[in-house]
Amino acid sequence: MRVNPNLVPNILADLQQSQTTLNMALQEVATGKSVSVPSDNPEASAEMVGNTLESANVDQYTQNVSGVLSSVQSADSALSAVVSSLTQAISLGTEGANGTSNAANRQAIAQQVQSILSSVVSQANTSYNGAYLFGGTASSVPPYAADSSSPSGYAYNGNGDANSVAVGDNRSVQVNLPGSQIFSSSSADVLGSLSSLVSALQSGDTSAISAATNSVSTALSYVTQQRVFYGNAESQLNAQETYLQQETVSLTSQQNSLVGVDEAQAATLLSQAETDNSAALAAAAKVLPTTLLNYLATPS
Amino acid sequence: MGGLLTSLLAGVQALEASQAALDSTSNNIANANTPGYTREVADFNENPENLTGAGLSGGGVTLDGIQSVRDELLNLQIQQQTSDQSSANTQSALFQQLQTYFSSNGEDLATTLAAFSSALAQLSANPGNSAVRQSLLSAGQNLAQSFNTTASGLTTAQSDADQQVTQTVAQINSLTQQIAQLNSQLTSSVTTSQNGGTIEDQRDQLVQQLSTLVGISVTQSSDGEVITTANGSPLVMGSQSYSLQTTTGSDGLQQVLDTNGTDITASIQGGQLGGAIQMRDVTIPAYFVSLNTLAVQLATSFNRAQAQGYDASGSAGQAFFSVPANAANAAAGISVALTSGSQIAAGSDGSAGSNGNVANLSAVFTNDLPSGETPAGAYSDLVFQVGNDASNAGAHSTAIGQSLLQLTNQQNSVSGVDIDEETTNLIRYQTAYEAAARIVSTVEALSTVTINMISS
Repeated sequence: MRVNPNLVPNILADLQQSQTTLNMALQEVATGKSVSVPSDNPEASAEMVGNTLESANVDQYTQNVSGVLSSVQSADSALSAVVSSLTQAISLGTEGANGTSNAANRQAIAQQVQSILSSVVSQANTSYNGAYLFGGTASSVPPYAADSSSPSGYAYNGNGDANSVAVGDNRSVQVNLPGSQIFSSSSADVLGSLSSLVSALQSGDTSAISAATNSVSTALSYVTQQRVFYGNAESQLNAQETYLQQETVSLTSQQNSLVGVDEAQAATLLSQAETDNSAALAAAAKVLPTTLLNYLATPS
Repeated sequence: MGGLLTSLLAGVQALEASQAALDSTSNNIANANTPGYTREVADFNENPENLTGAGLSGGGVTLDGIQSVRDELLNLQIQQQTSDQSSANTQSALFQQLQTYFSSNGEDLATTLAAFSSALAQLSANPGNSAVRQSLLSAGQNLAQSFNTTASGLTTAQSDADQQVTQTVAQINSLTQQIAQLNSQLTSSVTTSQNGGTIEDQRDQLVQQLSTLVGISVTQSSDGEVITTANGSPLVMGSQSYSLQTTTGSDGLQQVLDTNGTDITASIQGGQLGGAIQMRDVTIPAYFVSLNTLAVQLATSFNRAQAQGYDASGSAGQAFFSVPANAANAAAGISVALTSGSQIAAGSDGSAGSNGNVANLSAVFTNDLPSGETPAGAYSDLVFQVGNDASNAGAHSTAIGQSLLQLTNQQNSVSGVDIDEETTNLIRYQTAYEAAARIVSTVEALSTVTINMISS
């Protein structure tokens, strides 16, 4: 049976194959990626689309959590200051209702309670990163402004809505309580009770002072209850932060397994491909130029 | 005398035969590297014996002709596989070009979809912040730009395929003319009982080239070869060639017509022409449908979510994206209709700090579009489709390459010139020539002796 005398196409095909393998191994080591165009691995490329979206979202959610955590903590410390102020107001009120105080004392106490009221209002007008924390969703204007027509002397300019911030794909956390619910609610009016305590002290009527002090007490318990919301929000956010950290790790590891290259393995493959290529070239060099003419004596 | 003359005749015939064989051997060696050359062998035949008084004696040798050794069936198989591989290669090359638009290159849809979705999450935490709103607007513009760029990449690949159609048809026509000419030369030369070797070699080369351009079907007839396209439109019939024409179709792309003016574009298979038409008319339009559908549905869904909320000044949300009325241009023409971040409808109650509608905007990414997939899911399907098709074209080309190599090896083993074989033939025929020359000189010497017998 006659065999193919022309080895060149076969040799060339083998050399090209060996060269292609070498090029691929080189690219993997250089880029650290096993997939650079979709045809390298269609399934992995398709899955990477989802991974890219998820990774970007998780990064943003992580930032959201830390930003919101700061504003919640800010609100909580404002309320903590309010609680201290109210406690102080109660002891001042008790002192004022005491029969041993005289009118001059009561005037002085009234002044102190008035300044406590101003400081509570300024706590209610706390802002974080340019947004007012207790105005509901109307966060661009101070929630409480002086208004002589209002019984407490202050009117609420915010609204009753709350924002829930996205911290996960279908997970959001409510991040604020409207000021109207905390400081001027119908159940316990913090500002109103402080303001009526001031009036009672100025009037000198001890029973009125006692009644006003009681309503400040009620307001204090109420505010303490409202603070629970912010404590809960904080715990939820901390838990979500942990979850997002785990998500980040798992997404990165998925990305590596889809398109990443094991460096040790890639380096080994590269060196193997180089060896194979050299061997193929050396073999081709040996085989190509030999024919019968090399062995025949030239005719004399 | 009959004996001596017979021997002389035999010797002379042997000389001529060896001479001719040497000619064909040297022709083989000379053409060892000529593409498409089929080796020639000298066809020796024993002459019929003569009946003389002394009994039967041999009649010497005749050279019946120089025969080219070729296998027609192998040629046909090689042509078919060449067409197939050429089509796969053409598609593969176009895929290399358009795949880059679907790779992770910073501007691709996967990246911009991700950036837009995460910008929405940022808006959720900072609805009143104008820098954050502006960055969402920019992310939207980048997303629209990605759609535009990807669509334009597909269009470029499609118009490259279109150009290939025109060029390939011109090449086909030139080849069929040449083949027809060779056919007519062949029929006239074979009738004068000359070996059509060289002309047939040339013709086979041209037919091989033709098979890389388009899938063909070859049959023999009394006039020479009959070549048609795979579905039967005539290209060459004997010494007559039929040209293909191109004309601009209603969609602006080139349609291929046969000689009678019938549109045969859809039935062309194989070769560069078949591959280019397949990509241009089937593969790329399918990608366009997916891309355009995604653009339209994403824009519509997002605009609807905008309308459910209020922007920073408390007005109802306007359409975020604008999409051309013709769905076929959706991805190419999608753009952002809003001009300022304050127009983004983040709020649900009219106040500037509300984020109540952001959940609706984000839900566009987590809910299914009318096509049944989320936006990322729909795009991911498209990426898989492109990658898979590209990978298949490459794999197909490689697989056929292996098979073609086998067939070519077989063809070479039949028709290829083996230098070693020709070298040994040279030695053989040289020896035979020397021996035949010996016969002549021996007979001459004997004749001289015989004549001297008479004259002395």
